Amino acid sequence: MLDVHLDSWLREFGPRGSERVDADSVEHLLDVLEERYPRLRFKIRDETGHLRRYVRVFVDGNDVSGTTGAATSLRGARTIDILHSIAGG
Amino acid sequence: MVSDNKLRILVGTRKGTYIVEGDARRARWKVGPVAHQGNEVYHVVADSRHPGDVYALVNSWLYGPVIYRSRDYGKKWTEIGTPLMASTKTRPPKFDGNPDTPAPVYPIANLWHLEPGPPAEPKTLYLGADPHLLFRTTDLGSSWEPIPSMNEHPARKDWAPGAGGACLHTILVDPRDSRRLYVGLSAVGTFRSEDGGTTWKATNKGVEAPFLPNKFPETGQCVHHIAVDAADPDTFYRQDHGGMYVSHDRMDKWVRIGKPLGDDFGFAVASPRAAPGRAYFVRLDGQARVTGEGHFQVHEWNDKTRTWRKLLSPRAFPGHFGVQREGIATDDLTPAGIYVGTTTGQLFVSPNAGKAWHQVPFQFPAIHSVSVASPASR
Repeated sequence: MLDVHLDSWLREFGPRGSERVDADSVEHLLDVLEERYPRLRFKIRDETGHLRRYVRVFVDGNDVSGTTGAATSLRGARTIDILHSIAGG
Repeated sequence: MVSDNKLRILVGTRKGTYIVEGDARRARWKVGPVAHQGNEVYHVVADSRHPGDVYALVNSWLYGPVIYRSRDYGKKWTEIGTPLMASTKTRPPKFDGNPDTPAPVYPIANLWHLEPGPPAEPKTLYLGADPHLLFRTTDLGSSWEPIPSMNEHPARKDWAPGAGGACLHTILVDPRDSRRLYVGLSAVGTFRSEDGGTTWKATNKGVEAPFLPNKFPETGQCVHHIAVDAADPDTFYRQDHGGMYVSHDRMDKWVRIGKPLGDDFGFAVASPRAAPGRAYFVRLDGQARVTGEGHFQVHEWNDKTRTWRKLLSPRAFPGHFGVQREGIATDDLTPAGIYVGTTTGQLFVSPNAGKAWHQVPFQFPAIHSVSVASPASR
């Protein structure tokens, strides 16, 4: 079972605290989150299924957004942090 | 439903939504509520058919485009459906690490303009988005239908974005016949539909495209904004990249009116209910894209006498101000109020059709859009 934490910006649309999710990939995890919290749909992933440009997904502290992305396996993983990248101005 | 007979200026900015409440004389202003802070808000608009209803088109740098509605003039906001094309099979290519690779084209990049439908269709709204997309809802935004005749237009492959994107930014509904629609698309031009959006006819005759080899093509003009005359729904005022124009025949042909001003570039135009035959343009320097005369200026076009009038003294507000396409609005009162927001966050007000001007004493973030929730005419 994974412990999932959302960035403060994204908590408006999803779980406000830690969320327990059983999933075998990032894509599966996001499917489950969107099922539980329909307002998260299109906020983390865009309409084409890709992670949005400034969303970062960390699996046990490792950023997978720019590498394996949504296809990342979560086998053996324990914590997921979905954060926003350092951007703005 | 909320009806308190107050006048409100609705301001969309680079960093959120601002509701500005005015007193009866339109002389004193109170800023608040504020919402969507930190996010780009391209358009905030009231739905006069449902007093209290205000829509905000938020384009978040993080979570993308979202439509919010308030039922109490901005105190509380609720996300409503956004017409994302979830069923699309087109996926943008994965970024290959090469900075020269064009950015992927998303089904919806930004939401640009929300237009409430006619009074006889109280649950109809229209929505314009980038890239050149038009949607309609008949249930106040719980569900949206794309308008395929526009969104799958056979000429789309030839449509390019303007500097602000491929925005469909102007939507007008004929008050006498809700099946007659007009739309304006950056770097494409204007179209009219006589059948509720089933078919469209390009309506750019007479409008110059100075940036194209063919100066008067059927489409390709970069329309910036259009205002309809309140007394004559067949008359339109157009601020185009290629100048200022008027049409008296439902956009069948356009006549350039801006040449006496010299450089007649700009983005914003409005025509108030209390002043039929008048249109207000904010003329900008075509190169610098700021008020070119060294001060804030609004020009009034009198369509009856076919003359221009400058409304402000050079001493009133010196400086170089940018004004975007949704940056000017008028109210429904007599005399007409004119409201102009700038890209450097000033909000200028004239409560008497341009005779006197003052600035709302608040420094806003860069202003994208200004509109007015008018009380009943008084």
